[in-house]
Amino acid sequence: MRLIDSFRTAVAGIRHAKVRSALTMLGVIIGISSVIVLMSIGASAQNLILSQVQGIGSNLIFVVPGATKGSRFASPASVQGVIIKTLVKADIDALRREPSVIRAAPEVRGQARVVYENNDAMITYTGTTEEFFAIRNFEIARGRSFSASDNESLNRVAVLGSEIARTLFGEKDPIGKVIRLKDLSFRVVGILEQKGIGPFGVDQDNLILLPILLAQKQLLGIDYYNSVTIQANDAYIIEFTKGRITSVIRQNHRITDPDKDDFSIRTQEDALSLLGNITSIMTIFLTSIAFISLIVGGIGIMNIMLVSVVERTKEIGLRKAVGATNGDILQQFLLEAVILTFAGGIIGIALGSLVVALAYFALQQFLTTGWIFILSLNSIFLAVGISTLTGLVFGIYPARKASLKSPIEALRYE
Amino acid sequence: MIIAESITKKFTDEGAPITALKSVSFEIKKGEFVSIMGPSGSGKSTLLHILSFMDRPTSGVYTFFGKSIGELSDADLARIRNREMGFVFQSFNLLSRSTVYENVEMPLIYSDSPPSQRRSCIEEAIQSVGLSEKTYTEAGKLSGGQKQRVAIARALVNKPNVIFADEPTGNLDSAAGAQIMDILEKLNKGGHTIILVTHETYTAEFANRLIRLKDGEIEVDELMKKHRINGEGFFK
Repeated sequence: MRLIDSFRTAVAGIRHAKVRSALTMLGVIIGISSVIVLMSIGASAQNLILSQVQGIGSNLIFVVPGATKGSRFASPASVQGVIIKTLVKADIDALRREPSVIRAAPEVRGQARVVYENNDAMITYTGTTEEFFAIRNFEIARGRSFSASDNESLNRVAVLGSEIARTLFGEKDPIGKVIRLKDLSFRVVGILEQKGIGPFGVDQDNLILLPILLAQKQLLGIDYYNSVTIQANDAYIIEFTKGRITSVIRQNHRITDPDKDDFSIRTQEDALSLLGNITSIMTIFLTSIAFISLIVGGIGIMNIMLVSVVERTKEIGLRKAVGATNGDILQQFLLEAVILTFAGGIIGIALGSLVVALAYFALQQFLTTGWIFILSLNSIFLAVGISTLTGLVFGIYPARKASLKSPIEALRYE
Repeated sequence: MIIAESITKKFTDEGAPITALKSVSFEIKKGEFVSIMGPSGSGKSTLLHILSFMDRPTSGVYTFFGKSIGELSDADLARIRNREMGFVFQSFNLLSRSTVYENVEMPLIYSDSPPSQRRSCIEEAIQSVGLSEKTYTEAGKLSGGQKQRVAIARALVNKPNVIFADEPTGNLDSAAGAQIMDILEKLNKGGHTIILVTHETYTAEFANRLIRLKDGEIEVDELMKKHRINGEGFFK
């Protein structure tokens, strides 16, 4: 039997049972459109998270106090709430002398209630130096950032995130106004550009930046740092710079045994790779759910094909009587299943893409996080391949059953 | 030439052994019109299935134009059914949602003949049963007699040596039955060997030879004296 005849016969079989064919396809349509939508959500989430990490700056290295035991993804003790006082000004001074380091910004953090007139809010404040703005790509929308001399003179100045500025001042211009933080007065000198949610869910628009010395001495009463963010010189490979930073701090802390390090160093790549892993796992998880629905769809196809084989027993008998071999019958029924699932796959892709497009427009209206929907060509090819494969796998049993029917029994079937 | 030598067929029906054919032997020459008759359970359908290569005998030798069933695979049997045999069934067995053309084409799609060469064969077969004007009508919309004529066209389209007809008038009224028998008779006169299974005496008498079975054995094998004179006959 020629393939073109098999194809024509299969198409005629589908055409002559339109409702049954549509029902058969339904499972695949739902399965494939969920694969498309969920893979798109996965890819979009990955894109969003990775762009957030990249958005915090480039060539960044983070130093936090406390050692990290085990994998590079384990969290250091300081992150788990243990107070470690080992990271101090001498470390920053030494790091700034390193040629592989362009800038280094120490940070201290605390939480406090901020008040302006009748408005107040709980916020996280960060004490840092003027380098922080350049390192972390924090642009000033209005006013100015604080300077090295603000820091050294313990000037009570503050730079506000766009959201907290709106909360405290509404439509008023905050520049030059005085806010209160832990009973101290600070003059607002600048407002940051809107930055959105940062990696790990940090709201970068709801923070207040203060000169670090002031924050250490007058707000927190400490002389150590919570972390240091370093912008590495891109003339050096990042691992080299990481190595240099490690040896500088070890030297400062008089550590000879690497196992006794009292600090941890992370690069932006580490964060990217960690988040990449998390989002990949999420994508795999979402896609697996979609594949389960595809398997359910496949079983649906098998069921309906089995019913179809029984319903068409006489036709099978007739075809065998007039010369169809077992292979011809197998080919015809298998082709029917594959055509149905292929067509179901195409409709599923169209439907899934439509949902993705609608969701994109809806999210653009309601969210400001920069969520964009990605519909990758890979997911489309994968969907077509998988749907066709579903037809092959779940069509083979009914097709084989049809092909093995005895022509006499089949012709007698009522 | 069809040669059956000591054909025996045994079945088990719900565990009980049944011998449907008991050492049946005969020869059918090319161009004969043979009726196989017998009461229900006499083995006539079983014999037709074996003669038409749809079933194999339990023992004995069956040779169809030089090809012995014992030496052929299932695929070979399918190929011979396709190229050298035509089938007409009591219940027509048409695909009711397909057109007359598509129904008649069916044996050709299994014969590897290129689609371009099929049209003339199909149209010729449809014309020979007088249904040219219904070529593109859905088979389900035809009358019983027309359906059976489509089935005959389908049986003819591959220009087979032998046409097997299993109770071809069983589902038809007498006028339609007469038309069908006329067509079969004409085909026989045109050189086709026809093997007809029937339980109706008046249908059987269109043949020139009668094989009557009883309890799986040949009771009568004789040449027929034609009862019809000048086209006048039983169906009036």
